[in-house]
Amino acid sequence: MAELDRRDFLKLVSVSAGGAAAAGCSDHVEKLIPYVVQPEEIIPGKAIQYASTCLECPAACGLHVRTREGRPIKLEGNPEHPVNRGALCALGQASIGRTYHPDRYAKPRLRGAGGAYEEIGWDKATALLAEKLGAAGGRVRALTGELGPTLGSLFDRFLAAAGSSGGRLHYEPFGYEALREASRAVFGAGVRPIFDLEGADFVIDFGADSLETWLSPVEHARQIESAREVTSAEGREARLIYVGPRLSMTAGNADEWLPAKPGSEGILALAIARVAFDAVRSAGRPVGGDPGLLEGILAGFDAESVASRSGVPAETILRIGRAIAQAKRPAALPPGVALTSRRATATTAAVLILDAVVGAIGTTVLLPAEAAAAPEPASFREILKLVDAMASGQVAVLMLGGVNPVHSLPPGAGFADALAKVDFVVSFASLPDETSERAHLILPDHTPLESWGDAAPQPGVRSLVQPSVRPLFDTQALGDSLLQVGRAMGDSVAAQLPAGSFRSLVEAAWSGTDFRAALIRGGVFEAAPRGGALPVAASAARIEFKLPQFEEAGPYLVLPVPSPLLHDGRGANLSWLQETPDPVTKVAWQSWAEISHETAKALGVERGDVVAVETGFGRLELPALPRGGIRDEVIAIAIGQGHTVGHYASHDAEGRAGEARGVNVIALLPPLTDESGGRAWLTARAKVTATGAHARIAQLQFTDNQRKRQLAESVSLAALAAGDGAAHGEAHGGEHGSHEIRRPYDPVNDAVPESPYRWGMAIDLDRCTGCSACVVACSIENNVPQVGEEWVLRGRQMPWIRIERYLGDGEADLENGRRRPEDREKLGDVDVRHSPMMCQHCGAAPCEPVCPVLATYHTPEGLNGMIYNRCIGTRYCSNNCPYKVRRFNFFDYQIESWPEPMRLMLNPDVTVRGQGVMEKCTYCVQRIETARQDAKNAGHPIADGAITPACVQTCPTHALQFGNLKDPQSGVNQRIEGNPKRAYHALHVLNTRPGSTYLAKVSRGAEPEEGGHS
Amino acid sequence: MTPPPAESVAAMIRPVPRAPDSKVNRDLLAVMEGASLGYWALLGLSVAFVGLAGGIWIYQVYKGLGIAGYIHPVFWGAYIVTFVFWVGIAHAGTLISAILFLFRAKWRNAINRSAEAMTVIAVLTAAQFLGIHVGRIWKSYFILPYPNQRGLWVNFKSPLLWDTFAITTYATTSIVFLYVGLIPDLAIARDRAVGWRKLLYSVLSLGWQGTSRQWKSHNRSVLHLSGLATPLVLSVHSVVSWDFAVSIVPGWHATIFAPYFVAGAIFSGFAMVLTMMIPVRRIYGLEGYITNYHFENMSRFILLTSIIVAYAYGAEYFMAWYSGVESEQTAFYRRAFGPYWISTWTMILCNGVFPQLLWFKKLRTNVPFLFVLSVLINIGMWFERYVIIITGLSSEYDPAAWGIYTPSWYELGIVAGSFAFFAHLFLIFLKIFPVVAIAEVKEIAIHERSHAHAGEH
Repeated sequence: MAELDRRDFLKLVSVSAGGAAAAGCSDHVEKLIPYVVQPEEIIPGKAIQYASTCLECPAACGLHVRTREGRPIKLEGNPEHPVNRGALCALGQASIGRTYHPDRYAKPRLRGAGGAYEEIGWDKATALLAEKLGAAGGRVRALTGELGPTLGSLFDRFLAAAGSSGGRLHYEPFGYEALREASRAVFGAGVRPIFDLEGADFVIDFGADSLETWLSPVEHARQIESAREVTSAEGREARLIYVGPRLSMTAGNADEWLPAKPGSEGILALAIARVAFDAVRSAGRPVGGDPGLLEGILAGFDAESVASRSGVPAETILRIGRAIAQAKRPAALPPGVALTSRRATATTAAVLILDAVVGAIGTTVLLPAEAAAAPEPASFREILKLVDAMASGQVAVLMLGGVNPVHSLPPGAGFADALAKVDFVVSFASLPDETSERAHLILPDHTPLESWGDAAPQPGVRSLVQPSVRPLFDTQALGDSLLQVGRAMGDSVAAQLPAGSFRSLVEAAWSGTDFRAALIRGGVFEAAPRGGALPVAASAARIEFKLPQFEEAGPYLVLPVPSPLLHDGRGANLSWLQETPDPVTKVAWQSWAEISHETAKALGVERGDVVAVETGFGRLELPALPRGGIRDEVIAIAIGQGHTVGHYASHDAEGRAGEARGVNVIALLPPLTDESGGRAWLTARAKVTATGAHARIAQLQFTDNQRKRQLAESVSLAALAAGDGAAHGEAHGGEHGSHEIRRPYDPVNDAVPESPYRWGMAIDLDRCTGCSACVVACSIENNVPQVGEEWVLRGRQMPWIRIERYLGDGEADLENGRRRPEDREKLGDVDVRHSPMMCQHCGAAPCEPVCPVLATYHTPEGLNGMIYNRCIGTRYCSNNCPYKVRRFNFFDYQIESWPEPMRLMLNPDVTVRGQGVMEKCTYCVQRIETARQDAKNAGHPIADGAITPACVQTCPTHALQFGNLKDPQSGVNQRIEGNPKRAYHALHVLNTRPGSTYLAKVSRGAEPEEGGHS
Repeated sequence: MTPPPAESVAAMIRPVPRAPDSKVNRDLLAVMEGASLGYWALLGLSVAFVGLAGGIWIYQVYKGLGIAGYIHPVFWGAYIVTFVFWVGIAHAGTLISAILFLFRAKWRNAINRSAEAMTVIAVLTAAQFLGIHVGRIWKSYFILPYPNQRGLWVNFKSPLLWDTFAITTYATTSIVFLYVGLIPDLAIARDRAVGWRKLLYSVLSLGWQGTSRQWKSHNRSVLHLSGLATPLVLSVHSVVSWDFAVSIVPGWHATIFAPYFVAGAIFSGFAMVLTMMIPVRRIYGLEGYITNYHFENMSRFILLTSIIVAYAYGAEYFMAWYSGVESEQTAFYRRAFGPYWISTWTMILCNGVFPQLLWFKKLRTNVPFLFVLSVLINIGMWFERYVIIITGLSSEYDPAAWGIYTPSWYELGIVAGSFAFFAHLFLIFLKIFPVVAIAEVKEIAIHERSHAHAGEH
């Protein structure tokens, strides 16, 4: 220290002070660079929407891609699109994440000799593939997902030009192959039926899970819930009946649930058809076919004999048979994936016969001849044949696009081994999966948001895909890759391919239309051909209706359930879908085995105990989740997890590289088909044993008992008709309808009197199906971080809106409070209430007075504002919030939740919250402000409907409505005032005077109470 | 009450207070001299723990509060529990110094210094938890109503703001109180000290000469400060209790909270005095000054407040039942029989049941028993706050959003660190300041003597 003189000291001080100052700066420096040349149409700060199409599942919903400064930030449904009418499901909402996914292939990759990939240029990649194809001598095959008409036909032309002998197979894990085959068998028409449930007044769902994944879930959910709208006289008559072994999301929304023995759906449908047949005939109406023929088909299926075989009481069969015969627009929906047994075609045929008998063909079940032209997924039998060909070395080059058969085919099919026998595998995946990681060459495709394309999901609907962002990486559209490779293969091949780019092909394919208008509208939508009422053909008599056989390895039937969020597993690498809990079990990020309490007792396991499930085809270990809503002989496991590749799909982000997240239930299943070659899922019985291990289940809801606290209310249709109000007459001394369950708008407490607005929401529990699309939409709109399995297990999930699931009114009795979550489900009980819970924007908000720094406060328009910059994180507001909708930033989520390049999809209108502050639902205040600016520019007050928060926007069933409570004419007010007997405020006893008003669920009972159908 | 044993007091009395080095002075100042190996070991241990907790805290500030065990919806945890615990501990000092002074309970003189020191240290310990608890400590000055150009102001409706004021007021008053009482003793120490201590005591004793004018001013100051501090004893913990009572959380929202918390605070404060003073008396041989008579009197206070606290426990359950409010009933049922039953029954046994043994005089004067009991009460009182805060939050109105909180090791490290912080400051205090109020002990002695004289006449 002696050497330190004054000057050195000063230097040191200045250096360290500078260092300290620099360290104090944020370490993520962002540069704001103005446009040198202002792009046309882009106005900074203003969102531009592009119409496109969602390609996540074959339903092909219309999209509006919201872009800001050239980047898509949010997907919304296209209100003009006939499939989804403005709504989107959770998977569709989350699919924006594919474009910004941290896993994306940035360049073509070639597997080296050692097995490691190296990035190569497109020229080299194209030349290499051209060379391999040229040398393959026609032994070229392709396996793709749904590509759309233009790309599909280009691919087929390309393969033909390349001399492929077998061509391309369209593989869809949830292919519903039995539908077309059954339609052929019953009606003699090779048409996949289209189900139009608009206005249907009696829907019986034989395990289709029509609100979840089946065919076109957004469309069906909208149609079913609209048909049941209780304000209309017809809606009061409408019923949804569910047949299936498990209280699924669809079952929980039904008016009646028949927990029939799995596999007996077909004979049950026939027994109902037989009762209906008699009723229809005695009413003198046509029975949908030759009566003699039908009589013969239905002969052996009397209610009594079927009752014992299906477990559904004969009285129920009789009652339903008579009721469906009376219905004006009935529909019977054949089984979805989970109940697709080895007799799926016969089962589906049985349901279609029921449809025919009750006159549904041509009204709700459409068989237009035009649909025959629609491309259908290849049958499972054809896929297995391809695998055989691969295994026997008949395939030299295999081209894969949009499919992940290594994950989605049963291991017994031997796809992975067969793939290893193919000389050269090329994948066009844009994101890695189990299959693409086995390819020799990866030619990364654009994501749908970067691509041109089209889709034709049903007759009358031609939907256009247009890019809304410049490709983020050095990728190439699949169509262009094919064209390039074709040209590289030489003139002979090139001559057979169209000239120009793939985009020009799309334009050419749409040349007959006003392309510009189609781009704006999202496609061309015409009235769908409906087809006539085809009679049951004589071939139907040859169908054998028998109970299916199962591969026996134990007493428990494995029920592989499509995940309402992850679909067949394609959603597994989207963090929003992983973190949004399953609508039924409320488990996130994991796999679980649903068993009944009886089964759990027999196995000696409790919740979270790991069980081994063993069929003759595979063995899995996963935690058990006992519940009441499942048959004793069934073990249900959701499809979709068990990936070993992918940032969120596997555990690779957490230092457990390559370890699967959850289990893949497909590994338990044999590669079996139904009678006509379609894929069979419900095929195996398993031995289930306790392993002695225990796992923590990331279940986000502690109990389904609402303890009569009036969170999710219900009112019976009879009471509603009698003019009584929302439930709990008894809890209020029998004063039905007269007791106060909500407070009308109060100008003093709810908002500033001079303000013309008081924002509020109506939440219709009768329409909410629990699908959780709103949860994903909200998270993406509001930059809500996804925290991952580890932190979800510790209760740190961040969603601003959650769907609570309660069974009935609950019991107020004091429980013993064990850690095990309660479960009040019972077989056949459908009083499930899905209740979206977000900030209620209370007029007298308990959170506001307790904040010492006024970080949460009341805006003049009745919003419960939150100033992140002022928040010091005392968390008192959350303690005092009775709805528990506030979330705390325990960490700095900015980096980990949005790894590069995911930060590009952050909504610039919403602050990304820093460590240590509280956050919550804002009613999408950024959208309110945008609408305010627009209204101000136009010189009028904010119009009703000009503001649509993200959750409201995406709701497939229009369960949510937002608007100005001060305007008596606003939609939200009309809706609340129009349902005076259903409207209530959650936890109204606390006098929080919420802005959100709930409309009680209507418990309809099994049939209209005016009844007397006998 | 039995008077203090006459012989021990009589031995201290000199006819004229001439020599500055009386036996009292020597005895009591001896505590401050030298330091055994044990002392250094204890001090080293506590400093190490403080360092560890400091490290954890820095990590927490860097990484985020997520390292603690919070789980939605339990957003208050061990930090607030420990905060309330230390605020409670801080009560005995002022109670002894101020209220008992006003009531002329002479027996307090032997223990008031240590109790006051404990108060100050406990308040300082508690105050840190406000900073440890918040999400953004670097912005925590927002809670102060300072004038600024942005026109930002604080929310005077928030109990947390009241809390801030209550704690700072209490800390200020107790420090002043402790210091004013120390002045005559510091002068005694000054007269005997050499080196840096001489300088320190000279400065701190503010030129105290012991003149009657100074004594008069001193006594008047103490009297006035007592008057000021008395309402604070009641107000601080009342305000802390309002942090909970003002909310709508089932199990928090109760009008009984203020008296309940104040009684609990005095209860725990006295227990902590016992926990601290029993070893100190033993180690430094102060049996002549801090007698079993003092301990017995404190035991009576503990018994009284234990009964109040037990009554409050009962009243809470009664009100939950009587209210007919299901959420309230559920919260209390889950307290006793839910996931936190161990904490609840620990609290009931340690605070409501065990102290009832103090009805027996034999046990009130049994020092080892008192020590064990006082430790148990400290544990019980920590769990009382744990039970109130955690069980209340874990099962509120929306059963879909219930959660079970368990403190993480990081949190427990910081909580342990707070005990070490308390201990190390107390250990340092022992060596720098007279732990028994010399002047006041003498006052009693003189008082005794004059009484004895009066008896003779």
